[in-house]
Amino acid sequence: MKKWQLSRRTVLRGAGAALALPFLEQMWPSRADADPAPPPRRFLGLYVPCGMYMQKFTPPDVGSAYTLTPILQPLAAYRNDFLVLTGLANRPAQPDGPGDHASGTASCFTATHPYRTEGSDIRNGISIDQAIANQVGQYTRFPSLQLGTYQGADVGGCDGGYSCAYINNVSWASPTTPLSKEIEPQSLFDRLTGDLQLSEAEARKRRHYQQSVLDVVREDSNRLQAKLGSTDNRKLDEYLTSVREIERRIQSQAPACAIGTRPNPPVDIRDRTRLMLDLIVVAFQCDLTRVVTFMLENGGSNYAFDFLGLSGGHHEYSHHGTSQLNLDALQAIDTWEMQQLAYFLGRMKAVQEPGGTLLDNSVVLMTTEISDGDAHNHTNMPVIVAGKGRGAISPGRHVRFASETPVANLFISLAAACGVNLTTFGDNGTGPCPSLT
Amino acid sequence: MPPLRLKTLLPLFLGLIGVQACSGKSNLAIEGDLPSSGTAGTEVSPTCTGVRDPGRVTVHRLNRSEYNNTVRDLLGDTTGPARDFPSDDSGYGFDNIADVLSIGPLLFEKYQAAAEQLINTAWDRDIASRTNVLRICDPNADAACGRQILTRFARRAWRRPPASDEIDRYLTFISVSTQEGDAREVGVKLALQAMMTSPHFIYRIEVDPDPQSLVAHALSDHELAARLSYFLWSSMPDGELAARADDSSLHNPTVLEQQVGRMLRDPKASALQENFAGQWLYARAVDNIRPDSRLFPTFDAALASAMRQETQMFFQSLLTENRSVQDLLDADYTFLNDRLADHYGMPRVGSSALRRVSTAGTRRGGVLSQGGVLATTSQPNRTSPVKRGKWVLAQLLCAPPPPPPPGVPPLSDGGGQTGSLRQQLEAHRSNPVCASCHSVMDPIGFGLENFDAIGRWRDHDTDGSAIDASGALPGGTTFNGAKELAVALKADPRLTSCIVRQLLTYAIGRGPTPADACAMQEMTRKFDAAADRLPDLFAIVATSDVFTQRRGEPRASP
Repeated sequence: MKKWQLSRRTVLRGAGAALALPFLEQMWPSRADADPAPPPRRFLGLYVPCGMYMQKFTPPDVGSAYTLTPILQPLAAYRNDFLVLTGLANRPAQPDGPGDHASGTASCFTATHPYRTEGSDIRNGISIDQAIANQVGQYTRFPSLQLGTYQGADVGGCDGGYSCAYINNVSWASPTTPLSKEIEPQSLFDRLTGDLQLSEAEARKRRHYQQSVLDVVREDSNRLQAKLGSTDNRKLDEYLTSVREIERRIQSQAPACAIGTRPNPPVDIRDRTRLMLDLIVVAFQCDLTRVVTFMLENGGSNYAFDFLGLSGGHHEYSHHGTSQLNLDALQAIDTWEMQQLAYFLGRMKAVQEPGGTLLDNSVVLMTTEISDGDAHNHTNMPVIVAGKGRGAISPGRHVRFASETPVANLFISLAAACGVNLTTFGDNGTGPCPSLT
Repeated sequence: MPPLRLKTLLPLFLGLIGVQACSGKSNLAIEGDLPSSGTAGTEVSPTCTGVRDPGRVTVHRLNRSEYNNTVRDLLGDTTGPARDFPSDDSGYGFDNIADVLSIGPLLFEKYQAAAEQLINTAWDRDIASRTNVLRICDPNADAACGRQILTRFARRAWRRPPASDEIDRYLTFISVSTQEGDAREVGVKLALQAMMTSPHFIYRIEVDPDPQSLVAHALSDHELAARLSYFLWSSMPDGELAARADDSSLHNPTVLEQQVGRMLRDPKASALQENFAGQWLYARAVDNIRPDSRLFPTFDAALASAMRQETQMFFQSLLTENRSVQDLLDADYTFLNDRLADHYGMPRVGSSALRRVSTAGTRRGGVLSQGGVLATTSQPNRTSPVKRGKWVLAQLLCAPPPPPPPGVPPLSDGGGQTGSLRQQLEAHRSNPVCASCHSVMDPIGFGLENFDAIGRWRDHDTDGSAIDASGALPGGTTFNGAKELAVALKADPRLTSCIVRQLLTYAIGRGPTPADACAMQEMTRKFDAAADRLPDLFAIVATSDVFTQRRGEPRASP
């Protein structure tokens, strides 16, 4: 894949207040180019907690003329831009004993069985976003971004003897390294803009200085590794991996893409979610990254959606016990989540790139850690896939898979739609799943 | 060390095995302690006579509190730069568990940015106010100055004397800056930044003579000093402690105990109320709960903050007043400001800062009646006897019940079902799957039903029925209300062994393993012999082999 060059003339308006994203065509290399590089393909993994009210999510019919269910209503304007997928199972997410939220969240994008531990011996698998980033991350300033809305300052145990690392993170760089997430839009904005304001000479000197710092601390780390045992060395491997990524970023050319104005601190989750989604669009648009995961709250979240008129917590409602009151609350929360997805799809669709919209060139995966909140099952998972992956996916349908079709196979297909070929994935991914085209 | 007889161990193991008896699954015994592949607790029966295994602690990344406190003591910076860092995942109930604290590019980037900001700010402040936190000499004027600054800083930032070849490598930054046409001090500042980005700063590192050897050895005095200061202060050693490491006297138990006493009396020991008590007693979580604003319009950030402070100051008072851990449950005083006094329906104290007040003759007193505990163990819209019972079992008795199995019918949020919460929960327990655990949790939580979901006293449930606060502990002891529950818990022998376990976990930053059972039992014995006075426990933990020794690990870790 070629490195995709943004035109230096381009100025994008970004995340702040007024978000206008017109004239993207200007970014493209002149049409006179002999072999214009195709636009890159992007991946967003969107995680929502506590499962889904399946009866109000699952369309009764399949195919392109399927009926939009109440929870899917907010997506009506984009019905030709996404797939509703049902019947997929994530069996590896099944915990050893209780702990479905932790093991389901950890396994959500890894399709790997997480090892049950409070702390020592944390072990999961690499997540699909990271498998993609390992191939395409080299082309952008940020190989991938991990974003969320809540840090997870919970006290006590997290869930059934599973470390909180499992319930707070969906991106795993390796079986032992969860990637923590950014939840402050301002901080994300600052990271994205970086030293774009510096002059060429200032930026070069700064790179030199930063590089010399990295050289010295890498040497410290290498010397230490020779003196330490295997677990300690694994920790320092995480450190060295981070050093390498920062190093690569320092050396990479900053794109000529103004990110816009710095957002104000968010007032509540609505605000925070919107700002994050805006920044994801900008990061994709400016080709600052091609891979993002976004956790709309953490696994088993008990967030109280008071602005939806709900007094209880999400997790509490999700154990609905078929009480209509709880189910109504769940429907309201799930519908709100779909509104956020709809907002994002609208923003992605408004960005024109050669051959289609930014959404057409992307793969957006939305799923959760369990299916039904009461049953805590990891079968018949609710999944939405939006975008076309530059033609690899034909959206606009409800596809019902044979039950027990591994979600890992979907991940293999989505990676392929992002130009990344995997033969296996997770514990039970053996090849692409059918019916996406 | 006197050999312990099996008879004295038996209750311990029965206790450990009984932890999750309600699950009926032995492979779940002792949350997180045994490898999940293990079969039963009996397999690991130690004898407590042979050579003890002190275990090992993984290189320990500074967590956010530790980073903030460290830069406060290192640079005088009180801005709390780690506020902006990603959160530290916790395990075993604490966020300072070395194995869980990982690092990724995001956090590394934050460390880098913070180091740059902190060094530049401290340097400029030295110039502006003629202080010498960093700039003890002028590197632009004096060629030897760079080495002096870097050696002194590394000694403090790395919590050990640096080797001279380490300083040599960092001195190369000076030529980096002069090549770029910048002054020498630019290179010195870069070197200081690099020192704060180095693994020697970011991690607390303990080196084994042979990393593959399982033979226990004493920590170096500097390693021990760092363990101690991060245990008691969540921060770096101060000059006095560093001096005891430099003169190699710290490993002497008498010196170590003296240091513990001195450090507990230092204001920096407030880290214990924030980080240890804040997590152990859930006080820290009050800031994150979101009670339904329509049902509880008086709950806001100021009230939450007062609740958190109440529990934290209360814990600290047990330390400073040399009180026993039993006082945790039924002390006759607490800490209130006007806001919290109003909330509790007690006389105002005439201050927005919390003040110590007597609770004699009131419904309050002891941690069970503190708003923070009560509110963090409630649902957003109602009390939760289940969560409260679980809190008592997990945090005070170290006997947590497992989470519910899937597919069980839960409670409604009160709108759909009739009857008091107690009646609803009783119906819940009629399901035998639920009963095994809920029959343990709920009756404890019922004792606290007189306190609503934000900790206010109430005589009636939301449906108007009179509160019935009668309950029972697993052993069959019955009680009525929070005060009687406190009395019953005080008498429970698991209380002292549990705080030993909690404090040891926090102190060493790793989960207890079966190999620690003997050590914990011995600490509990010493603690009980010292009338369970809290300050003594810190010395007992700090002088234990588990704290002062370590070993390596086999080459291929599982």
